[in-house]
This record gives sequence, structure tokens and C-alpha cells, in this order.
Amino acid sequence: MTRWGMVIDLDKCTGCGACIIACKEENNVPYVSADEAGQGRALSWMTIVSEVVGEYPNVRGKYVPRLCMHCDNPPCTKVCPVRATYLSDEGIVAQIYPRCIGCRYCMAACPYTVKVFNWYEPEWTEGMDRVHNPDVSLRTKGVVEKCTFCHHRLQKAREKVRLEGRDFVDGEYTTACADVCPTKAIMFGNLEDPNSQVSHLARSTRAFRLLEDLGTEPKVYYLAEGEKNA
Amino acid sequence: MNQKLILALQIASLGAIWILVTFVGIWILNLLQLSNDLRDVPDATLAISIIAVPVFVTIAGVLTYVFVGLQKGKRST
Amino acid sequence: MLERESTAGGTFLDRALLNPIEDTNRTFYYVVGALLLLFLVAVGMYAHQIWFGLGVTGMNQPMTWGFYIVNFVFFIGISHAGTLISAILRLSMAEWRRPITRMAEVITAIVLAIGGLHPIIDLGRPDRVMNVFTAGRLQSPLLWDVVSISAYFTASTVYLYIPLIPDIALLRDRGAKPQWLYAFLAWGWQGTPHQHKVLDRAINILMVMVIPIAVSVHTVISYIFSMTLQPGWHSTIFGPYFVVGAIFSGIGALLVVMIVFRKVFHFEAYLKEIHFAYLGNLLLLMSLLWFYFTFSEYLTGFFGHEPFEMKVFWYKFVGPYAPYFWAMVACNFFIPVVLLTFKKHHTIPKVLVSAIAVIIGMWLERLIIIVPTLANTHLADPVGIYIPSLVEWGLFLGGIVAFVLGFVLFSKFFPLISVWEIQEGRERSVKDVTERLQRYLPVHQQHA
Repeated sequence: MTRWGMVIDLDKCTGCGACIIACKEENNVPYVSADEAGQGRALSWMTIVSEVVGEYPNVRGKYVPRLCMHCDNPPCTKVCPVRATYLSDEGIVAQIYPRCIGCRYCMAACPYTVKVFNWYEPEWTEGMDRVHNPDVSLRTKGVVEKCTFCHHRLQKAREKVRLEGRDFVDGEYTTACADVCPTKAIMFGNLEDPNSQVSHLARSTRAFRLLEDLGTEPKVYYLAEGEKNA
Repeated sequence: MNQKLILALQIASLGAIWILVTFVGIWILNLLQLSNDLRDVPDATLAISIIAVPVFVTIAGVLTYVFVGLQKGKRST
Repeated sequence: MLERESTAGGTFLDRALLNPIEDTNRTFYYVVGALLLLFLVAVGMYAHQIWFGLGVTGMNQPMTWGFYIVNFVFFIGISHAGTLISAILRLSMAEWRRPITRMAEVITAIVLAIGGLHPIIDLGRPDRVMNVFTAGRLQSPLLWDVVSISAYFTASTVYLYIPLIPDIALLRDRGAKPQWLYAFLAWGWQGTPHQHKVLDRAINILMVMVIPIAVSVHTVISYIFSMTLQPGWHSTIFGPYFVVGAIFSGIGALLVVMIVFRKVFHFEAYLKEIHFAYLGNLLLLMSLLWFYFTFSEYLTGFFGHEPFEMKVFWYKFVGPYAPYFWAMVACNFFIPVVLLTFKKHHTIPKVLVSAIAVIIGMWLERLIIIVPTLANTHLADPVGIYIPSLVEWGLFLGGIVAFVLGFVLFSKFFPLISVWEIQEGRERSVKDVTERLQRYLPVHQQHA
């Protein structure tokens, strides 16, 4: 059994934003102008929610990288009128761009607000429009998109594993954000594999998930801050 | 005015209603099959269909009843 | 059975009702022209939106829904005026319904068509709308809507058409043009007793059927919101709350339409003060019911004090949406309750003011339900800001224009007040009601 999942160690996260950029480049996520971004139309599959915690003068910044939680009980897939989003057998919440009618019901239903919409025809800056990742399809205007756990990487890895007739090795399939994270705060792997790094960490006492009480069963785990200082 | 042509048009429009109802029926059957194939929620889909299809059939039935009734009720001249 | 064939022969008393059709004045064409022009502007704006994408609206992340969905819920709500009120009045044998039912039914058919188009306007890829038919999932609340709205639209169109048949035949017999259209639509009506029996029976079946369908429509629309996990939406009360709101705004719209067309077409002899007084009472009742539901909804949220729920709650009560919220309470509760409780004098102006207030208030209610929940996300995002764009305002106006245009065009071809039902009332009602009344009274008094 495979259930792909992620663990993000908030003690290690510096909020540098490398994951955001890596994701954007990996997945051909369109650029928007600063103006549009200011209006809340930025397209980003990975964002960092920053929060100021505490009362002055005892304040500190808190950074929580947020991406699609790939819930086991996803509120978004239930409401899609055309099955343009669904939960795959391996636990990835997938998007089918050519089928999406752009009603944005999944966006309204997602409690984590991680889905983004192509408000205009996608655009890239001069030069960047020639270096698209050939493994990821481009979207058109009017469809919803979001993190796919770099699903195209899974397809490649699966092909290799199948050819060599063996099982996945931990870390063989990983996402762009996890790859690039300078402090290795983001870890990715199979939550069902008892020996994988993520399944160990997901069982640690520091592990929690966002909005757990909604019962969405997210597969992105966070490791609470404070361990290092304790 | 061509009485026969008008009658033919009236019957054709009534036929259109039944075509619409048939289309709705086929559509809902298609969705039912789809939900089964995709392992969605076929039972909920079935429940909705059981309510929806008869509604359309009844509406078309009432229209047909009125049309036939009005034709039968004409004065024989 | 009384022979009811006075339509063709005898003195025709209801000439005034056919005036808009038979004596169309020039103003009509000017009005239609102006409305068409405005409508074309709206069509142009929609074309603009299709060309450039939904970016031309004020929507964004997290404000994924805006005016289009607000207006969708609003227009479908107005549509409950019609069929539901007309069906309830028919079912309860309210004799004063006779000059009202037709207009109510017309409102339903037109507004439903407009409202039903709104989700399509809202789509990012309207060219793929057929996916709903070929690849739809009946488990999605949006599909419930598609099914129930199409059922309601079919039922209410038929429910408008069938009681219209005798009037179409009347126009056919009076030589209204185009002749073939009236001959085609009259379905061979001659007013024989058998035909009347068939018609009465069909109307009876339809009016019983249309009530649950109408209730289902707005219940299902509320489910779009209440089936999600979002604070302010995830509420069990939403089904009936939306139905009450829909009937409420529907009566408001019906009253405005009645007062306007009474003035324009000089229907004063048919739509009397008593009709407005009775419908005003109904509006007052719905206003109280609306308040009850609103109170229950917010008190439950407040008492539990769940943090996410409270974010939305304060946003509405004292936050950026407070002006709209309190305007809604004033429009939906204080204004109608005060005006309609004391409406013995100046009935019609008071009813008109409260009806307009209710329409505005109910539109605000839809806005207040949809926007604040989207603005206040669960996580620590900045609060969303939604400023509708010119295109959205334009299409809102376009929706209203389409409604007025549809109504005006209908009035050119068909009578806005049911002629045969008025005649039937004149010929039979007094006798029927007297007989009915005698059946209510205690038996011994009859011998006294």
C-alpha cells in the first residue's frame, strides 16, 4: 500500500521561500503582475502563511508553508460537478485540467484555501516562456489548479521502479519543494511504509495537522516548533 | 389558416416535450452509470434519479393529458 | 355544470385587460428598444469577460465567488414568487388570487431562466458546460441544482402555459395577430364543459406538484453552501432559511410588479387595495419568519463562540460588512414590520416601499451570506477583499433588464391578468363561496 505524504518541520523552516519558487518553476505555474497579485490573484501552489505570535514585546514570526493537504477525506473532490478533481488510489488529490469547467466550487469548499484559479490566460515573463517543464501540462484560462505532489515525478519514478522490478526506495520520489528546501524542513515519502522517514516523523509527538478537527484527514504533517529550544 | 399544419405543429411540440423527458432520462441514467464506474456514490445518485425522473414524466404526462383532452372536448362541427 | 361560453358571445367586460395587446402604443416600442439596447450592452460585457477571462471581475483568491453567485441565489429566490404563491393561493381557494396568479407565474418563468444562466456566466470555461451532462456527478450539490432547477423551470413553464390556454383562445377568436401563433398555442380550446374539466384537473395536479419542487429548488441552492465545511455556511437551518427568504423576496417582487403594471396599464379596477392589503399581510408574516430564522442562525453561532464562526460573525456585525448587515436587518425587518402593521391608510405606497425594501434587503442577505465567509479563511491569511468590477455590475443590470424586457414582451402577447379566471370568478365565485361558507357554519343556524 502506498499513501504519499509530507512532513514539514517548523523548527527547521526559515521562511526563505525557496519552496515557492521551486514549485512555480517545476509545475509551470504562470506569473501574474504585481498589480494582479495585490488583488489576490497570485498563482502559487505553495505559500508561506506568516503570522506574528505573541504580545509586544514578546513577539516572533511564525512561518507555516502551506500547500494542498491531499486530504484522505477531501471536501473539494466531493463537490466537483464533473470529477475534475478526485482522490487517487495512492492518496493524491488530482486535478484534471481539460475537464474543469471553472465553477470554483472546490476553491470555495477547501478549508485550507490552497486552490488557485487562472483568472486570465497564463503568462510568463520573456524568456521564462521557453523553459517550461515538458513533463507538466500547461493550463488554460478559467481552470482551477493546485499542488499535485509533483505527480509527474511519481510517474517517472514508477516507470523506473516497474522496469527494474523492485519496490520504491524511500526518497526516490520526492517533490520539488522538498528537493530544494535548504534546511531539509520538508520531507516527502510513503506514509504507509513503516520504515520511511515521513512515517516515523508523522508518528512523533510533535506531529500535528492543520484543522485536524474538521476531519479532512490531511496527509501533510507539521512538526510543532519549540523542540530545539526546550 | 391551415388547420392541418397547425395540428401537426401542435403534435410535434408535444413530441418535443417527450424527447426532452427522454433526454433527461438518458442523461440521468448516464450519470448513474458514471457514478458506478467511478465508485462515486451510486446510491445517492440512484435516490436523486428516482425522484427526478418521475417529475419530468408527470409534467409531460399532464401536458399530453391536456392536449388529448382538449382535442376530445371539441364541439363536433 | 355551468355552461361557461360567454367568452365568445355576450358582452365582453374585460376589454381593459386586452388593451396592452390590442392597442399597443408607441411608448411600448420605445421601452422595448431602450431595454434591448441595455441588454446588448450587458451581452457585450459578457463577451468581454469570455475573451479575457474571469480576471475582468472583482473575484480573486479567496473571494472565489461574487456577484454572479449572489445574483444566482437572488434571482432564483425571486422566482419563488410566482409559482409557489400562485399554487398556495389556488390550493387554499383564496378567491382574491384571480388577478394575481398570472403575473406571479410569469415572474417565475422569466426570472428562473435568468437565474439559471448565472452559474454559467460564473464559469471559467463556459464552453465546457456540456461536461455537466456527459461527465456530471450527481453527488455534487451543483448537479442537484441543475436537476431541480430544470425540473422547476419545466414545471413552472407548464404551470404558466396551461391556465393561459383559454386566454390564448380568446385572443385567437378576437383575431389577434399573428393568428397562427395563437391558433397553435390555443390547442383547440373552445371552452366546452369537457375542456374545462380537463383544464381544471391539470391545474390541480400541477399546483400540488409545483409546491414541493419549488421548495426543493431553494433548499438545494442553500445546500451548495451548507454542504461545505465553511463557517457561516455549514448550518442545518440553511434549507428552510433560504426557502423562507426566497418566498419573502418573491412576494416583494410580485408586489412591485403588480403596482407598476397596475399603473402602466390602468388595471386599477382589477388590482384593488384589498389585494395589496392581503399580500402585504403575507409579506409581513414572511418578514417575521425571516427574522426568526436569522435570529436562530446567528444566536447559535454566537453562543457556541467557535473561533472560526466568530471571525465571520464579527465581520458581519461590527466589521467591514456591518453597514450591509444592519441595512439588511432594517430592510427586511424594521421597515416592512412598521409599514405593514399600520397600513390602513395609504396602503399601496406603504406596501410598495416595504416591497422594495425587502427586495434590496434580500439581495443584501445573499451578499452577506456569501462574501464574509469567503473573506475569513480558516488559516491566518489576510482577510479577502471583494470589490465587484464594472462588468459584474453591468451583468447585474443586464439580469434586471432581461427580466423587465421579458415581462414587457409577455404583456404584448398575452394578458397579464387572467381573463377567463376573472370571468369565472364573476360568474361563479359568489355562488361557490356562499355555498362553501354555508358548509362551514353550524347546521342548526340554517333552520333558525
